Amino acid sequence: MKPETTQFRVKAAATLDNKTVLQSLEHVYTGFHEGRLTAAADTPNWEELRTKGKAIKDHTIAHLDYYLGLLADNVEKNGGHVFFAEDAAEAREHVVKLAHDRNVKTVIKSKSMVSEEMALADALIDAGIEAVETDLGEYIIQLAGETPYHLIAPAIHKSREDVAALLDDDFKNGDPVPGADELTMLARAKLRAVFERADMSVTGVNFAVAESGSIALVTNEGNGRMSTSVPRIHVAVMGMEKIVPSIQDLSTMLRILIRSATGQRITSYITMVNGPRKPDEEEGPEEFHLVIMNNGRDKLLADPQMRESLNCIRCGACLNACPVYRKVGGHAYGWVYPGPIGSVVSPVMTGLKDAHDLPNASSLCGACHEVCPVKINIPRMLLELRWRAAEGKSDSRERASSVKERMLWKSWRIGMMGRRRFDLGARISRWLLRPMSKRGWIKKAPPPLSGWTTTRDFPLAASKSLKQRLADRKKPGGTNRDRP
Amino acid sequence: MTDRAKFISGVTASLGHSEVQTPAPDLATAIFESDDDAKLKAAEALAVAGDRATDLIERMAEAAEATGWRVHRVSNPEDAAELIADICQGYGAKRVLRSTHDVLTDIPLDLAIRDTGASIDLTELTNQADTTEPSEREKAKNAAFSADVGITGVDYAIAETGTVVLHPRKGLSRLVSLAPPTHIAVLRPGEVLESLDELFAIERDDFLSGKLSGSMNLISGPSKTGDIEGTIVTGIHGPLEAHLVILGSS
Amino acid sequence: MPEDPSTQPRPEHVTLFATCMVDQLAPGVGESTVEVLEYLGLEVDFLDDQTCCAQPAFNSGFRSEALPVARRFVELFEKVEGPIVVPSGSCAAMVRNYYRDLFRDDPDLVERARRVGDRLYEFTEFIDRFFGNDAITGRVNDTATYHKCCHLIRELGVDGPPLELLENVDGLEMRPLERADVCCGFGGAFSVKMADISSAILDEKLDNIEAAGVNTVIAADTGCIYQMQGGLRRRGSDVQVVHIAEILAKSISGPAQTGTRAR
Repeated sequence: MKPETTQFRVKAAATLDNKTVLQSLEHVYTGFHEGRLTAAADTPNWEELRTKGKAIKDHTIAHLDYYLGLLADNVEKNGGHVFFAEDAAEAREHVVKLAHDRNVKTVIKSKSMVSEEMALADALIDAGIEAVETDLGEYIIQLAGETPYHLIAPAIHKSREDVAALLDDDFKNGDPVPGADELTMLARAKLRAVFERADMSVTGVNFAVAESGSIALVTNEGNGRMSTSVPRIHVAVMGMEKIVPSIQDLSTMLRILIRSATGQRITSYITMVNGPRKPDEEEGPEEFHLVIMNNGRDKLLADPQMRESLNCIRCGACLNACPVYRKVGGHAYGWVYPGPIGSVVSPVMTGLKDAHDLPNASSLCGACHEVCPVKINIPRMLLELRWRAAEGKSDSRERASSVKERMLWKSWRIGMMGRRRFDLGARISRWLLRPMSKRGWIKKAPPPLSGWTTTRDFPLAASKSLKQRLADRKKPGGTNRDRP
Repeated sequence: MTDRAKFISGVTASLGHSEVQTPAPDLATAIFESDDDAKLKAAEALAVAGDRATDLIERMAEAAEATGWRVHRVSNPEDAAELIADICQGYGAKRVLRSTHDVLTDIPLDLAIRDTGASIDLTELTNQADTTEPSEREKAKNAAFSADVGITGVDYAIAETGTVVLHPRKGLSRLVSLAPPTHIAVLRPGEVLESLDELFAIERDDFLSGKLSGSMNLISGPSKTGDIEGTIVTGIHGPLEAHLVILGSS
Repeated sequence: MPEDPSTQPRPEHVTLFATCMVDQLAPGVGESTVEVLEYLGLEVDFLDDQTCCAQPAFNSGFRSEALPVARRFVELFEKVEGPIVVPSGSCAAMVRNYYRDLFRDDPDLVERARRVGDRLYEFTEFIDRFFGNDAITGRVNDTATYHKCCHLIRELGVDGPPLELLENVDGLEMRPLERADVCCGFGGAFSVKMADISSAILDEKLDNIEAAGVNTVIAADTGCIYQMQGGLRRRGSDVQVVHIAEILAKSISGPAQTGTRAR
């Protein structure tokens, strides 16, 4: 998927104006976030699990080369094929060629953010191969010609009316639309025939287990299971970081992933794939292909400040907790990964200079860090990226600050380096702004504060600083409070 | 075309090393557990499953209901067969498929189903036929997609989460619990494990040896989605309804 | 992490770190802080030369500008002994949690900053640890609700003490705030640089405040206070947003007053 990170402000503004989408976005809080809060509260050793999950991922990423080798060895031992793709284009070309070589007519796709990096569905369609998204949310946005809005609920921004119109032209004319139940059955009927005729499936990977060469798919709908049962070829695509060392590590990872993503204790299905079907099995894919993709993750790995982001298990909890995401929506982030985790990985993987708005689009409230199942310290990484965007080397593709901004903070620093100038600065600002103030408040501030007063009153500096007031207090006849 | 060595050496370089280093043992992950310790753990998990069977069945029933299974309790094989036949009849089922789990022949199931006027087929349709024949596989697939009810036993169940564990078996073992709109799973005491920890401890050796067949499924209730306005809807691509018949304790 | 107070005797003397905002925009908060600390029997010192902890520049990414200002802070406050009290969770977090990042090229400075940070406490955190939340028993007749400032709860882990302090004020009817722990949208320079997003987040907070049906909102960080007060004023609302130090100072200062307080 081509990054459009430079469009952040414009797209954010569009969402802020869209009451319908904002209403739909509330579901990430009232549904997923509150569900996660309840699930965590109901789990007595929740904090211990988070610590354990972090430890598993820290260890794995620190030895990623070793575990990649182990994983590949074991997948091949089980009769599967492994393809290492340096970038999205390579991965995409490999899968399209495979489909072509095997005379594949219909590909069913199960949910995979990595396949979005690859823009795979469109590439298959361009090659004359039917490629249908089978996860309901992905199916909806495929019909809409859009990209995912959220990590686990790709169509969360679509209202029931939107969905009805996409599923059936009959609903386009504004008649009352059926409930979610009926719409779901409609989608089921449409996709069932596709499942039956699929000759290849492409799925993501929630966890790849190095010691056994297995992959785990965590799903609710059943399309993941269809993908690993019906077609003759199963292709699983994964980011290279999605490994855990041992099959027994899965119990921790599954517990924290599922509760964090939807608040469920467990999803309807967890499918463990151990390669193609065995000779004595009559059912299941004849071929299993694992595509392991880099696509810029090496940059995160090589960067000590950013490496922790590779611990991410793509649960979406940070999105659900983020007050910014809930107002700007998924498309504003301009690439595959929205929300707080997207604000950290997209700039590094696709270029900070173009994406510099992303790490700056945060009040640093820390809710993301608080809910992350593997305790990723996202705020710290946002601050690191802000630093690089503000003061990175000017010949690098990082620095995005303007001369004006740099001058502003330089004068700020000068003003803060001495008490007299600090007081003087406040006195001057009061003197300048007092004429446009009323009872200590300003309705229209000049730059650089004008953004504030578009929606809020701004306070006038006090007539006396605290230093002065405390000094006055000590004098006989003392206090001098509340003078506007 | 990137080959494996080049890719991995790139990762090694990103880690700041010149060659792949084997990790030193770390308590963080279970991969360093000795085979002996692992075997002990697995043995204990199985022992607990036997010793605490009654308690685990109760917890399983509770957790299963919470995750959307319709839970039924019967005390003997005849009642089990009759109950299942009733359920099928309730759906107006004409075609029923079942897996090769022992429990399904330990109860007089086939007879009970046929008595309702429905056909019941073993998913092992291709007993004699060449299993690599595309037309045989096609036939089997069509059977699954046109069946009304799929019945299985369980290989394990998990009390923590209300989960039924199915290993693939001869025949249409994957699709029988997926394609028909109704799935019925028959569970007996002694088959229930405490939690995911015990499952993976027990399965560890099979995973490592590659002996475990192509895929294993953990099933916790009917299929669901929350993709339309975040509203949870039960029943999408997988079964719309999932029944758990607990045989042997009421 | 500040030292465990159970291993130390109650202090008799503290140094106030006002914060740049309190110093120049809301000195009343500073005076209230002093009044409360004196009520608890403490002697309070104010270092005349103080300016800022450098958080605004650091958060905006301009670490080269933040560094000298932060170093100056350390140099100033390491000269005094005993606890340092600050009426701001975000400024306390800057010193305790982020100075080591800012100073990471200078291990000696990191250590000096740590020693200052170890005896630096946010205002309610300080009272809770050394005096207990029932140490202040005054009266204010009012209906109020409490907004949880993000840095205080998440960076410092101070969640219970402010509400407990307020529970002990007679006549103060505390009403719950829906989504109290969701950000008000301030975020420092974010409130200006991305004013539209900041305002959208604020709108939700203000809707919840109005739904609480109170006269007063209480919070523990001046940035959040101005975000909310500025927005409420723009809505034409009479609801007052005050710092917890101000409410506590009012509660011990004499005859109880009701409702609003002209700025």
